[in-house]
Amino acid sequence: MRKFFALFVSALLLPSCADVSAAMFAGSDGTYNFKNEWLDPEYHVDESKIHLMDFQSDEDTIYALYVGDIAQIASDTIILYLHGNASSMDNFWETAGLFANLGGPHHFGFMMYDYRGFGWSTGRSTGAASMAADYDAVVAFLESQGLTSDRLIVVANSLGSLPAGPAAAGGSRIPIDKLVMEVPQSTSNIIMQNATGLSLPSSMITSYKFDLGKNMADYTGELLWMHGTADDVAPFETAEAAMQQHNGSYYQEAVYPDMGHGLRWDIGDTEWAGTILDFIRR
Amino acid sequence: MVRSILSLAVIFLAASCTPTKIIVPLEQGQWQVGLTQGRPQINDGFLPVIGGYAAKGVSETRTNYGGVQLSSLLLGAVQLEGGQVRSWIPQDGLKPGVSWSYGGQAFMSTRDYAFRFYPETGINAYWEKGPHILNASANTWVDPTWFLADFNRGQIIAPSLSAGYRLRYKWIEAQVEYKMLNPIRELHIPQADIPSTAGLGGRGVYYGIAINF
Repeated sequence: MRKFFALFVSALLLPSCADVSAAMFAGSDGTYNFKNEWLDPEYHVDESKIHLMDFQSDEDTIYALYVGDIAQIASDTIILYLHGNASSMDNFWETAGLFANLGGPHHFGFMMYDYRGFGWSTGRSTGAASMAADYDAVVAFLESQGLTSDRLIVVANSLGSLPAGPAAAGGSRIPIDKLVMEVPQSTSNIIMQNATGLSLPSSMITSYKFDLGKNMADYTGELLWMHGTADDVAPFETAEAAMQQHNGSYYQEAVYPDMGHGLRWDIGDTEWAGTILDFIRR
Repeated sequence: MVRSILSLAVIFLAASCTPTKIIVPLEQGQWQVGLTQGRPQINDGFLPVIGGYAAKGVSETRTNYGGVQLSSLLLGAVQLEGGQVRSWIPQDGLKPGVSWSYGGQAFMSTRDYAFRFYPETGINAYWEKGPHILNASANTWVDPTWFLADFNRGQIIAPSLSAGYRLRYKWIEAQVEYKMLNPIRELHIPQADIPSTAGLGGRGVYYGIAINF
């Protein structure tokens, strides 16, 4: 018994231990070869409006893509897209093309960025702080170009819901008033609890704690939640429980029976884009 | 993506399933010290989770044990277990012997010191012949803090069913066990597949090696 007690105490004194938060992120190198040749013709963009840029986020450099006229950020409505858990923005170039043609060619400005450790962005994403800093670095640029809250649309896909939640709950220097949560996660605890079947908190394995339900309760703006009931990455039931905490000015659900985590591919671009466009224009 | 799957898989293994330590109580005064490697299946592969334990026969019918899950420790959670195995019905020819166990699993986060304790109990049917021991076991963890799970998704019991073989020869014991994990719940790891037995819960194979003295 004394030996076990000693082991127990020594474990408490471990200066550091493995944290799975970094390993949960799937970032890797990217090519950033953003060309029309990789897009379906219907999503071609004016290649002169493709801008690859970088920003400082703490000690790291974040790479972002803007599609549109930078000079018109002061007057355009801008879609800020927080991408899902894939290696880099390369995986979302087609999504960028779709958004750049939403409502007509270059009707909206479009921006996305790679979190630390994704694509060319340096460093490693480690949790809420790094994700918030990266988000802020990008939004600071948009603010400096004259973007205001009434023209900012944030669209968060899967992993992107993690930084979007706290940002919507008051953590964005440009307050968010229109938010699309596409196939969001729910809470860090739920991931742990669904994996174990026990009431274990996520702090057993990671310091990355998130609670999108609480974020939505604190978010006062408009929310569109899109989810498939057969999502095996972000379970529908828990995402629903989190999103329905929303108590803001407008709430809309777009629920698709038997559709999975790749929602846009499952329901088709027309339905996907139409739902988002209707929400933006309402 | 692979890293994501591996990491979360390890969590799953470390947290919710540990191999059965003692099936047939040890002789009074006898010690057994062992290492176990849990291998629950994630996607197409099996991943190792390592734990250590010590057990002592405190009487002819009772054996106390305690263990630590080393993999949990690496992830920042102290996971200790302890309990007792008691002989209930002795083996009579082909009629199996029966033992039952009770104890608990304690988890504590080294990050925020969150603590959870899960009492557990189990029953083992075994056939022992010479150095060979076959067993079939049922075990359940009890979650007294099920209400702390987010969105009311907690459950009070987390059962498992297992079958195994042990070779207890002189001072060494080798163990292998197949386990059906939490068949009353759909286990889920983002971006990973958890194979089940007959569509129920998770499944895994565990190995152990121990010395007796």
